[in-house]
Amino acid sequence: MMAIQYWRNKDRYYRLIGVSCTRCGRDFFPPVYRCRKCGSEELKDKEMPKEGKIVTFTRLYETLPGFETQAPLNLAIVELKNGVKVLGQVVDTPEELLKIGAHVRAVFRRIRVDGESGQILYGYKFVVEHVDARRETG
Amino acid sequence: MRVFVASVGLTKIGDHWNKSLVDLAVEAGRKALSSKIEPDYLIIGNMFSSLAASQEHLGALVADSLGLKGKPAFKVEAACASGATAFHTAYNLVKSGASESVLVIGVEKMRDLEPEYVSQALAMAESAEYTQFVGASFAALNGLLARLYMHETGTTRDELSSIPVIDHKNAVSAWHAQFRKEITPEVVSRSSIVADPLRLFDCAPVGDGAAAALVVSERLVSEASKFVEVLSSSVCTNNFSIYERDDMLSFSSTREAFEKAISTASVPKGKISFAEIHDAFSVTGAISLEAMGFSKKGFACKDAAEGKYSLNGELPINTFGGLKARGHPVGATGIYQIAEAYLQLTEQAGENQVKGARYGVTQNMGGIDTTTVVHVLGSAE
Amino acid sequence: MKSREKVAIHGYGAYIPYYRLPTTEIARVWKGGGSGPNVEKAVAAIDEDTVTMAVEAARYAVRMAGIERLGAIFVGTESKPYAVKPTSTIVAQALGQHFTLAADLEFACKAATEAMQIVTGLVGSGMIDAGLAIGVDTAQGRPGDDLEYTAASGGAAYVIGRKDGNQIATIECSTSFVSDTGDFWRRAHERYPRHLSRFTGEPAYFYHIENAVKALLEETGLRPSDFKYAVFHQPNPRFPVEVAVRLGFNTDQVKCGLLNPLIGNTYAGSSPLGLAAVLDEASPGERILLASFGSGAGSDAFYITVSEGIERKRGINPTVKSMLERCAKIDYSTYAKFRGKLIK
Repeated sequence: MMAIQYWRNKDRYYRLIGVSCTRCGRDFFPPVYRCRKCGSEELKDKEMPKEGKIVTFTRLYETLPGFETQAPLNLAIVELKNGVKVLGQVVDTPEELLKIGAHVRAVFRRIRVDGESGQILYGYKFVVEHVDARRETG
Repeated sequence: MRVFVASVGLTKIGDHWNKSLVDLAVEAGRKALSSKIEPDYLIIGNMFSSLAASQEHLGALVADSLGLKGKPAFKVEAACASGATAFHTAYNLVKSGASESVLVIGVEKMRDLEPEYVSQALAMAESAEYTQFVGASFAALNGLLARLYMHETGTTRDELSSIPVIDHKNAVSAWHAQFRKEITPEVVSRSSIVADPLRLFDCAPVGDGAAAALVVSERLVSEASKFVEVLSSSVCTNNFSIYERDDMLSFSSTREAFEKAISTASVPKGKISFAEIHDAFSVTGAISLEAMGFSKKGFACKDAAEGKYSLNGELPINTFGGLKARGHPVGATGIYQIAEAYLQLTEQAGENQVKGARYGVTQNMGGIDTTTVVHVLGSAE
Repeated sequence: MKSREKVAIHGYGAYIPYYRLPTTEIARVWKGGGSGPNVEKAVAAIDEDTVTMAVEAARYAVRMAGIERLGAIFVGTESKPYAVKPTSTIVAQALGQHFTLAADLEFACKAATEAMQIVTGLVGSGMIDAGLAIGVDTAQGRPGDDLEYTAASGGAAYVIGRKDGNQIATIECSTSFVSDTGDFWRRAHERYPRHLSRFTGEPAYFYHIENAVKALLEETGLRPSDFKYAVFHQPNPRFPVEVAVRLGFNTDQVKCGLLNPLIGNTYAGSSPLGLAAVLDEASPGERILLASFGSGAGSDAFYITVSEGIERKRGINPTVKSMLERCAKIDYSTYAKFRGKLIK
């Protein structure tokens, strides 16, 4: 990804800033231009909750360029507490805790590094909350 | 105005090391121009020539190469649905009377790219800022979808393999198919993991290919030796990425495009002789069959395993191998489907012939049901 | 050194990465068996660096403090991901702080405590209401070098503001002692640091810490027995205990904040993490001595008293103990992959 494209989105990547519809209150991440629920175009930036649960997950072995050293990648679609679904990597999680329904929280990580001399891109990933996950599987 | 396909042309799908993007397009285009009908318009379906060949401006480039200098020519892009959207454009040009004869060529050169750049190219169908950015390839999204589908429907690993098994069986006698070898569910479940739970044999292969179709008006079609009628062409879109949808398993654009297409064509679902479906991954094939109402939700793979979708079954699908075995040179796939429907409806399908084929449906998707194009074609009356 | 206005800690956050490399693994690969002085060391994952750990620790600290506006953000580290481009601005952006004085500090293992002193000065002078001092490192030892046993990753962050009744602890006094001592260094463009064999002990670690702590005791008129806890920089499990005994403290005072055996030396994060472990346990009214050490060389010593507010803030953040427990052991090859010791 181009460094400037990343720079424009830094608050979205660093803090999960999405948007909220000022008319009906529905939240969106990624941001939308028009509320998918009520059609309003009056949306304002809003920080998303950092906790949620895994809706589905995969382990990717053939990575995109720039992600080779992180392979294999655990990826999940996470439903945040406000119902918004976010796609992201899951890290620091043993395989047995990576499950549909597992509770996760967002963390701040390196997303990728642009070679030896380019910029380091940061953003959100998720970790499974060990205590909650144990309780669920327990 | 009525719209017809007067002729088609295909290249074999596979590793064309000695042929360029333009070589392939010209080869397929010339085959489709074998009749006396001259095209007055050229439309190219292609997804990522910019990445694979550092080449855009394909319309004029291919037009010049085919001796069509002076004709209007341009590229249509809608990710993996580029081929069918190009065809949709041609259909509307003829339908509206703006043109009487449009040559459509779908072409993709994939093998020139290193594997990780093929992944990169395919991922361009998805959000650069929220899908690619986090490291998710297109296969990863389909892995996420497959896990959810299996979890929600109880579909087993071997059941999921049933659509690739049908594809491979049908491709054995398809000269243009990339993989002409039968497989068993065990072959799928033992193949290497791509994006868990999806394995290599759940995924359409990487290959080069081009397919062409000559779309003509009623006035010109009499000059063709064999032809089929395009009864409807419908394109629908969905919320861009699956994680932006309330129900990730519903495939609403496939459902809506299909319903609109059969209604416009006035062909009841029960009269459809065969369907070419977009199974870039086993799971997308399964959900597509459910979205079009051929199987109940969660039953597509079970139905496939029981023979419903085999060549001699109730509704044959992917009669030449589908995306999995015939191959999926992305921007060309939609035209391959049209060409295969043409071969079925003109009784030229050889060993793959669906007996008494009267109406065929093709379904071509860009992204995961993000853009879906459905065509209904009928044999000449 | 004392600020004119009373200054206090309002929140703190620790961060210890999830992975642990047993030192038996390092010894197995390089020495044919045995182990290092510590049991394990904390290893940052492949997608972690000083920035990510600083953000995690800072988010906890800010959450505990409940303070919205930070007038200063200092990151003390010797492992900046960029040679030129501040770590502190990335942290500031991630915290949503823009009208803030942001800077990176480098002083080997003591860059965090000087950050605490600077913020203390800014708050104490009335220039800012509150600021953030972070100490974090992804320390690297050359493969096979003795340093590899202990060079570890982790850190802690402190929100420091006015003493207003909501604080969790008060920074009563601090002292600093420095000299030009080349015990450990890393030249520009070099990947790994070098050190002068046993020179790191007597003329470096002990000499500087003893001077700083003695000055602190003199300035405050306190004796070692007046402190409930003592936290010293932890390059290995032995030094902090030995310096404590030499200064007249006992091993019980050191025990609570001694993390080196389980996580190694987190450099700028080392003594701040020890302080965090102590604050997790400490009760109002108890006194804490904190003394850092940075090669090159110097030591900052602090006298801190625990306040009533700490009881109200318990449970807001995960404890250091929980971070020690939440871990996964890795082998040397995974460690090599994570820390860029494999070429790919």
